[in-house]
Amino acid sequence: MAKYILKRLGLMVLTLWAVVTVTFFMMRAIPGDPLAGMARSLPEQTKANYYAKYGLDKPLFEQYLIYLKNMVRGDLGESLQFPGRSVTDTILETSPVSAAVGGIALCIGLILGVGAGILAALQKNKWPDYIVMFIAILGITIPVFVLASLLQYLFAVKLQLLPTSGWGEPKHMVLPVIVLSFSTIATYARYIKSSMLDTLGQDYVLTARAKGLSEFQVVSRHVMRNSLLPAITILAGRIVGIFTGAFVTERMFSIPGIGFYYVSSINNNDYTMILGTTVFYAALFIVVQFIVDFIYTLVDPRIRIVPDKN
Amino acid sequence: MKKFLALVLSLMMCLSLFAACGKSDDNATDTQGSENNTQGETNGTETAEQHFRTFISAEPSTLDVSRRSDTYSSSILVNTVESLVRCELRDGEYVTCPGDAESWEVDETGTVWTFHLNENAKWEDGEPVTADQYVYSLRRSSAPETGCPNAFFLQPIKNFSQVNSGELAVEELGVEAKDEHTLVITLENALPAYLDMLSSTIYYAQREDIVDKYGDKYGADAETFISNGPFKVESWTHNNSIVLTKNENYWDADSVKLEKVTFSIMSDENTYYNAFETGELDYVSTGSAEWLDRFQKNSDNVLIQYPGATLSYAFYNCNDALFQNANIRKAFTLAIDRDEINEMCFSGLRTPTYGWVVPSMSVGEQNFREVVGDPIKEMQEDLKAENKTAKDLLLLGMQELNLGDDPSTLKVTFSLAGTSDWYRTLGDFLQQTYLAELGIQIDISFAEWGIFYDNVEKGNYQIGFMGWGAYYNDPYDTLSLFVSSTNAIQTNWSSEKYDELIAAGSIELDAEKRLEIYAEAEELLLKEECVVSPFATNNYNLFVKSYVKNYPEGTFSNEGLKYVEIVK
Repeated sequence: MAKYILKRLGLMVLTLWAVVTVTFFMMRAIPGDPLAGMARSLPEQTKANYYAKYGLDKPLFEQYLIYLKNMVRGDLGESLQFPGRSVTDTILETSPVSAAVGGIALCIGLILGVGAGILAALQKNKWPDYIVMFIAILGITIPVFVLASLLQYLFAVKLQLLPTSGWGEPKHMVLPVIVLSFSTIATYARYIKSSMLDTLGQDYVLTARAKGLSEFQVVSRHVMRNSLLPAITILAGRIVGIFTGAFVTERMFSIPGIGFYYVSSINNNDYTMILGTTVFYAALFIVVQFIVDFIYTLVDPRIRIVPDKN
Repeated sequence: MKKFLALVLSLMMCLSLFAACGKSDDNATDTQGSENNTQGETNGTETAEQHFRTFISAEPSTLDVSRRSDTYSSSILVNTVESLVRCELRDGEYVTCPGDAESWEVDETGTVWTFHLNENAKWEDGEPVTADQYVYSLRRSSAPETGCPNAFFLQPIKNFSQVNSGELAVEELGVEAKDEHTLVITLENALPAYLDMLSSTIYYAQREDIVDKYGDKYGADAETFISNGPFKVESWTHNNSIVLTKNENYWDADSVKLEKVTFSIMSDENTYYNAFETGELDYVSTGSAEWLDRFQKNSDNVLIQYPGATLSYAFYNCNDALFQNANIRKAFTLAIDRDEINEMCFSGLRTPTYGWVVPSMSVGEQNFREVVGDPIKEMQEDLKAENKTAKDLLLLGMQELNLGDDPSTLKVTFSLAGTSDWYRTLGDFLQQTYLAELGIQIDISFAEWGIFYDNVEKGNYQIGFMGWGAYYNDPYDTLSLFVSSTNAIQTNWSSEKYDELIAAGSIELDAEKRLEIYAEAEELLLKEECVVSPFATNNYNLFVKSYVKNYPEGTFSNEGLKYVEIVK
C-alpha cells in the first residue's frame, strides 16, 4: 500500500513536470508578446528595458530553469498583464471565490440531478421521465451566456428581485449558482438514468427481487449503490472544475473568480499567469484523480490495489 | 473498517468544499461591512446621496503610472491623482487649468518650463505635494530597470534617451526641484503642445516612501497606492469593483461634490446594459444603435454625445510587392465609400473620416479639419471630375509594376485582428467593395490580436486594419506615428521630407504656421503617398441618469468625475 502511494506520488510529480515543460515551450511559441496589447510599435529601448525587467531577455532555456527553480519554492512569479500581482497570490485569492459559487452549484446540481435521474429511471417512459429528459436536453443545449442573459433580464430587469451582477452578498450568488447548476443537473440526470437502467437489468437485481425484498429495498440497497459508481468518475472532473472557475458565468456576473485569468492570460501573452494557472489546474487534477482512485477501492469491492508482482 | 474509511474520505471531500465556501463568506461579510460604514458617513452630509455608480469594462492592470500600459487604469488614475495642469472643457473649449501647479511659465527658448506648485496640494495622508515627488516619478519612469512601457512619452525631456538606455544616470534627466514647490523641466527642443502632454498619467507625481515600502507591489491594490487627487481608492476587489471616496485633503476638495464613486468591472455588454436599465448603474456607454434607441425612450436617461479621437483605419505594407506602388494604395483607399462603411460596419454611429488627423483635433484655437478640409474626399471628387474611377488608378499602378491589366489576377490578403461576428461583417464588406470597385477578389485573414500584430510587426502582411486613440489634442500625436524613426504603424514607409515637416511642426510656436506645416505633412501622407486609409472616427454615446449633473464631455479633457454631482 505504502509502496503504491509512493509510486503514485512519484508519477504525479513527473506528470506535473511534463505539463510545465510542454506548456512553457508551447506558450513561448505563440506569436506576439506581452506588449502587443499597446497596439503600437514601441521604441526598441522601451522594449529592451521591459523584457529585462521581467527576465524575458535571457535565453529561453535559462528562463525555463529559473522558472522551475522558483516553482519548487512555490513562487509562480509576477503577472505580466497585472504588474505587482504575484501569480501565486492571485490563484489563492480567486480560486476560493470560484469554488464557493461552483461548489454550491455542484452540490445543488448533484442532489437535483441524481434525484431527477433516479426518478426518470424508475418512471421510464412515463411523464416524469419525459419532463426530466426535456430539462436535461435543455440544460445541455442552451449556451451558458444565453441562460445567464435570460435570467438577468427576468430576475433583475423585469422582476427587480436580484442584482444583475456583483459579488459580496449572498443575493449575488443566486443567479450564477442557478446557471452553473443547470448543466450539472442535466448531466447527472442523464448519467444516473442510464446507469440505473443498466443496473436494473442485472442478474443480482433479479436475485434480490427473487428473494422477496421490497422494491424500496431493492432500489436503495442494490440498485442505487451500484448506479452511483460511474457518478464518482465524472465527479472528479467537476470538482477540479469548480476550483478553476467558469469563465463565461464569472464574466457575465462580475464574479472575481479565477476563470478570467485562464482566458485573459492567453490573450495577453501573460506568460507567468498562463503557466501558473496551468500548473494549478494540472496539480489539482492529478491530486483529485488520485483521491478518486483511492475512493474507488473503498466503495467498489471489485477494485483492489494488488501488490507489485516483482 | 473500510466502510468507515470510505465515509471519512467522502466527508472530507465534502468538507473541503464547504471550507472553501466558508472562507469566501468571510470575505463577503467584510466587504459588506465596509460598504455599510461608508454609506453611514455619506448619508448625514448631503440630502441626495452623493454616490455615483459607473463601470469600466476590464480590470485595470495596475495604478503604478510607471508600469501601467492599459487604458482602464487611466479611468481610475484620472480621478485619484492630480496632474500638474488639468485639461478641462469649458463651454466647448479646452482650457488648461491649475492642477498641482498653480502657475507655470516657459522661458524664451521654449525649452525650460517652470511650474510653481500649489502649497495647499496634499496627499490623502496629509503629506504635502512637492517638486521632489515629481522629479522622483519622472526619474523612476525613465530608469531602464523600471521597464516602463510608456516611457517613450517622456522623449521630449532633455537626456531622456540616454537615461532610458542607461548611458546616463537618472540624475542627468532634465528635471529638477528648484525648491520644495518649484519644478523645472528642461526639454530637448521647444514643444508648443507640451502643456497638453502633461495631462498624461506618466507625468503624475509619485511618493518615494510609498513606492519603496511596497516595491513591485506598489499600485497593485488599494492598500499599496496613495492618492492626491479628488478621490482616493477605498477598496479594490480585483475583477469586480473599485470604490473611490472623496479625498478630504485634496487642494480643491470644495469643488468635489461626490462622496463616493463605485466602478464596477463589467466586461459583458448585456450585463452593463441590464444594470443601467435596473438602475444599478448611473452611467452606460453604447456603440449599438439598438440600445441607443432603447435607452433614449426612457426619459430618466440623458444622452451625452461628443466626438472621440479613436480612428479606425486600414494601412498598407509599403514593402509589399503590390502595395509599394502609390497608385495601387490610392485605388484601395479611394474605393471605399466612407459613409457606407460607417452605416454597414459601425451602425452609423461614427464619423466618416477623410483625413489622418481626427475631426475633434485642433491646433491652437482652430479645428484642424475645418481649416484643412478633407483630403480623401477631395481626391475622390477630383477622380470623379476626371471621369475616372479607383479602378483606373489600380490599372495605372499595375502598369507601372508590369502586372498586366487584369485585376482579377492580383492576390491580396486583408488582415483583420479579430474573429468575432463584427470582423466577419467588416471582412464581407471589404470583399464586396473591392470586388465591385476594383474587380479584385481579396482574401480576408482573421486572427487573434497577438497573432495579427506579430505578423504586422514582422512585415508579414499586405493591408491591415487597426484603431488609434489620440492621447492629446495636437496633430503631432497622430502625424508623428509615421516619422521614419518611430514607424509606430508598421507601414515601412519613410520620407525625409515628411520627417522634416513633422520635426519643424513640433517646434513651431506659432499656431497658424504649425497648422500649415501639419497640413502639408498630411497632404504628403495621404494625397501623394496614401500610406494609410482612414475610415471613421468614434463618437461617444453615453447615458447618465437624469439626476447626474456635470458629467464630463470632451475626449481630451482629464477632468474625470471631479465636478459630477447627484441632484435628486
